[in-house]
Amino acid sequence: MPDTSDILSLESLKVHFPIQGGLFDRVLGRSAGAVRAADGVDLNIGRGEIVALVGESGSGKTTVGRVITKLAQPTGGRLLFEGRDMTSAKGFSALRPYRRRVQMIFQDAYQALNPRHTVFDSVAEPLRSLRLVKNHAQLTERVSEALSAAGLNPPGDFFARFPHELSGGQRQRVVIAGALAVKPELIVADEPVSMLDVSIRAQILQVLVDLRAKHNMALLFITHDLPLAWLIADRIAVLYLGRLVEIGSADDITFNPRHPYTVALRNATPQIRSDASRFELPALQGEVPSAARVPKGCRFHPRCPLAFDRCKEEEPPAIEVGPQHMSACWLPTSGAKAELSTPNLKSADHGSV
Amino acid sequence: MSESIVRYSSRSRARAIKSFLSNLLGHAGAQLGLLCLVFFLVLSAVPNILVGPLETVATATGDFLVPPSSQHLLGTDEVGRDVLNLVVHGARISLTIALLATVISLVVGTTVGIIAGYYGGRVDVWLMRLTDFFFVMPSFVLALVITPVVLEVMGRGREILGFRPSLFVILVVIGITSWAFVARIVRSQTLSLKERTFIDRARVVGSSNLSIMVRHILPNLVPQIAANGALVVAGAIYVETSLSFLGLGDPLQPSWGTLLSLAQRAGAASTGAWWYLGAPGLCALAVSLSFVLVGNALDDTFNPRQRVIP
Ligand SMILES: Nc1ncnc2c1ncn2[C@@H]1O[C@H](COP(=O)(O)OP(=O)(O)OP(=O)(O)O)[C@@H](O)[C@H]1O
Ligand code: SF4
Ligand SMILES: [Mg+2]
Repeated sequence: MPDTSDILSLESLKVHFPIQGGLFDRVLGRSAGAVRAADGVDLNIGRGEIVALVGESGSGKTTVGRVITKLAQPTGGRLLFEGRDMTSAKGFSALRPYRRRVQMIFQDAYQALNPRHTVFDSVAEPLRSLRLVKNHAQLTERVSEALSAAGLNPPGDFFARFPHELSGGQRQRVVIAGALAVKPELIVADEPVSMLDVSIRAQILQVLVDLRAKHNMALLFITHDLPLAWLIADRIAVLYLGRLVEIGSADDITFNPRHPYTVALRNATPQIRSDASRFELPALQGEVPSAARVPKGCRFHPRCPLAFDRCKEEEPPAIEVGPQHMSACWLPTSGAKAELSTPNLKSADHGSV
Repeated sequence: MSESIVRYSSRSRARAIKSFLSNLLGHAGAQLGLLCLVFFLVLSAVPNILVGPLETVATATGDFLVPPSSQHLLGTDEVGRDVLNLVVHGARISLTIALLATVISLVVGTTVGIIAGYYGGRVDVWLMRLTDFFFVMPSFVLALVITPVVLEVMGRGREILGFRPSLFVILVVIGITSWAFVARIVRSQTLSLKERTFIDRARVVGSSNLSIMVRHILPNLVPQIAANGALVVAGAIYVETSLSFLGLGDPLQPSWGTLLSLAQRAGAASTGAWWYLGAPGLCALAVSLSFVLVGNALDDTFNPRQRVIP
């Protein structure tokens, strides 16, 4: 049932990057397969809602963010903005209204700013290209306003600076100022604080949280850090190999995770391990499998300590395990709960973090 | 507030330019090259003040093929013209042709290179085929093909933009044959620039492709264009000299290459008139060498900066 209050929804979104095969493959007309960076993602973001997208490196977080900001084209599924299909919208003039409402913040602010543009030019760029101002006075006013809101005060002092004349935190604030200068309704933030000093992180997060409070701006916060996601988000979506394995309220995902992968993620984070956890798991074994070779059945089964026969054959659908809480695992329905108490699992616990 | 913007930006620009210049002048090669270039630029700026108007057969002042003396510092040619006078006037022709040809080559090469690199795909394939075609095209053959056409269309006596038709042909030929080199360098640099995050950001904030190419990619290409532009000038002087030497120049607007050609035909080498061959030859050599030195120094100066500002 489509929720009319959703600002954005992804419907079984797929991004497959074809793998360039060797000459041999091409001569034989054989496909070398594809990297399934996103492989059927369903996600809704409500107005003014902060959703965290959590997952290991290579799980496809950035790819999902790039689809939402129209930097990558999905190979399947749909991207709906306020119920309107934006999947195949192309060209900068057709996308202009969308760009006014959906903006992005990047992981590496140093890379995200043109080294030859001043702070003023960088922040003014969206206002100019999206034609949001009529004259220079208005432009200066909006740029100052945005820089202040991003915590760069007094704004005039920063106008003529170049990126290399700023600290890392200030650079990220400039990127944020550029994004919020257009007063968007959704911001995709791709690991916005992972490259910053711990001391600066809290301030940057505060800026983002304030935006929601003041302007009811929705935020998709991409991170690999579960405690950080819990801190900032209303809901958390856990991504594994291009597919959401669990989604629910920040508290549920953090303290009452249902999917074995989420449990393992949480267990890898000493701060939030608690006795109240539903079940204990050994720490994850092995590497994240490559998105070029997604396992058959449940994509987590080669690493899942609870895997059983069915997991190897059938991919589990997202199953409602609580209010607003979905988990893509066979366990809650297949009566496999009994396995949770099997002694071999308990004894394996000493292997965890 | 706008006052403070101006103050800040002019100050930080001035600082950047100052540090750039001090880095550049730290190279001994750059000092030598720039000194030499300034000397020749002065020569070509005011030839009439320095040596009087260009001498012709009618206004020749000396005897035939006189070796250097106090009256004719670089001797005279086979009709009695002062070689110093000819060489100084030749500087103007040679440098103007080389610089204008470089402008053509940089404009065409940069445009083609950015478009090919930025759009990629089929656009890239076709533009690069075109580039390869011009890359291997010999300038002499092209000049031989174009000259009669231009002479036919324009008429022998007319001037195009102040150039006699054959010089205009040389100018165009050098422009046409040297842009491919620039296009290749610009394309490869564009390929790496367009993967940078600030291009993604420019797209997200709604910039058009044109604005991304002009406002984001082009300014970041300036170092490469400047450094290679200097090399293109050096190449242009070389090509201009050889084309003129082969007889495609114009005796009424003699460049250094034309002088070499005249000297050759007058038998300067066999009669021992070394001044007649040596003066224009050394000038051409010195100027192209200076541009190479400056180009290499520019390259060196920009490169560490690229490391600092990735
Ligand atoms: N343009 C591309 N071409 C081919 N494969 C790609 C491309 N972009 C991403 N991938 C692959 O898609 C998968 C997901 O990448 P993505 O960058 O979305 O992961 P991520 O979750 O953001 O990881 P990280 O935490 O390291 O940023 C990876 O296996 C990556 O190699
Ligand atoms: S479906 Fe099976 S393999 Fe997948 S997470 Fe659940 S128990 Fe593990
Ligand atoms: Mg990423």
